[in-house]
Amino acid sequence: MSQSIISTKNLNLWYHEKHALQDITMEIEPKKTTALIGPSGCGKSTLLRCFNRMNDLINQVKIKGELCLDGCNILSDDTDVVALRKRVGMVFQRPNPFPKSIYENIAYGPRVHGINDRKELDAIVEKSLRHAALWEEVRDRLHESALGLSGGQQQRLCIARTLAVEPEVILMDEPCSALDPIATAKIENLIEMLKEDYTVIIVTHNMQQAARVSDYTGFMYLGKLIEYDSTTTIFEHPKQDLTENYITGRFG
Amino acid sequence: MTDKFHSELKELKKGVSDMAWFAFSMLTDSQKAFINQDEALAAAVIARKDQIREQMVTLEETCYQLIALNQPVAKDMRVIACSLKVIAASERIGRYGKSTAKIVKEIAGKPHIANMMSLPLMSEYVLAMIDDALTAYDTENLRKIDGFSARDDAIDALRHSIFRESITYMMENPKTITQATYYIIIARYLERCADHACKIAENVQYMETGERIEIK
Repeated sequence: MSQSIISTKNLNLWYHEKHALQDITMEIEPKKTTALIGPSGCGKSTLLRCFNRMNDLINQVKIKGELCLDGCNILSDDTDVVALRKRVGMVFQRPNPFPKSIYENIAYGPRVHGINDRKELDAIVEKSLRHAALWEEVRDRLHESALGLSGGQQQRLCIARTLAVEPEVILMDEPCSALDPIATAKIENLIEMLKEDYTVIIVTHNMQQAARVSDYTGFMYLGKLIEYDSTTTIFEHPKQDLTENYITGRFG
Repeated sequence: MTDKFHSELKELKKGVSDMAWFAFSMLTDSQKAFINQDEALAAAVIARKDQIREQMVTLEETCYQLIALNQPVAKDMRVIACSLKVIAASERIGRYGKSTAKIVKEIAGKPHIANMMSLPLMSEYVLAMIDDALTAYDTENLRKIDGFSARDDAIDALRHSIFRESITYMMENPKTITQATYYIIIARYLERCADHACKIAENVQYMETGERIEIK
């Protein structure tokens, strides 16, 4: 692996008494797609949420260990969480556009970060929508409500909204679980294109999706990272029996 | 993956094993028929050729369906990949049995040349290799295929020696040309069958460990 963009060392997380992440040590390669798989409750979404400190929003969470973005420990108290979340964007399970126009959904982030010039915003909106493969479908109705879009379009809009603030890393928490196969295929194509410019980390319950879209796959079980390797190795000849049993459906 | 898939996969492996041992029996019987000049047995081998083809088509179809409907991964995927190779190799082995049986009919009534050179020995070695390769597939025990490379070399050497010996006989006595030429052909068939045993062994290794090896 080349120089990692995100690295964790002995990362542990507790939800109150529950030890949800146990000694996670991994390196995420830049401009690649990394998938996290594992049964429900294994900690994959918890780990994903550590990467932009979304767990800060949950009460009684305690984190120990090291979590670095470009070599800087983002768990330290002086981390500017707003700036961190600009660098590490996130897309959720269900599309969650703001109840505003398509244009305003995209322009919102850049405005928060101080961009108010109309021309500049226009350019960002177009570029973000193009990157999210949505521009051609919405260019004539930018000022209509985002809630009028289909589920798949709304999810791509949320990706475009994330792209508008030019993050380095995009976290996706089961981005296709609420979508039909055609919308899912569009998001998967998009992930393939996004990794030219961004690092993508995706949590998915759909193992075939992990196999299709990712370069690296981490298998988690009961809060531990059991195996982390190239996706071809994980799906062709995993080294751990636990991984083998999970991906071949012998438990789960 | 569902229990249904895993039981279908088990059934597939059983079916492939049955086909492979059926092909093995075709080759074994053809060798017996050749050595003992047993035309009736040769005819029985030839009669099995349609069956082996039918088995191949059915089993391949099962593999494709299992892949299309279940998208298997890891060992499940490797079992199917290996099974497809075993099906192809077995069909070839069965066909070499049939071709040998045809030769038995061609040279019926003509006595063998002396000790048939090393053909009975070569036949024994090759059948043992196929036996071990198929046992490895059935039992998933890789020890059976240890040393396949050296065994394949021994087969190649035997084929070469049978070729040289046949030429010598033909030069000494042109009346032996037909017989000796068929010996060369059968030695060639046996050598190809040993290669198929090696291919099966390579694929069993992949099935078990995910590691690609080359036996040469």
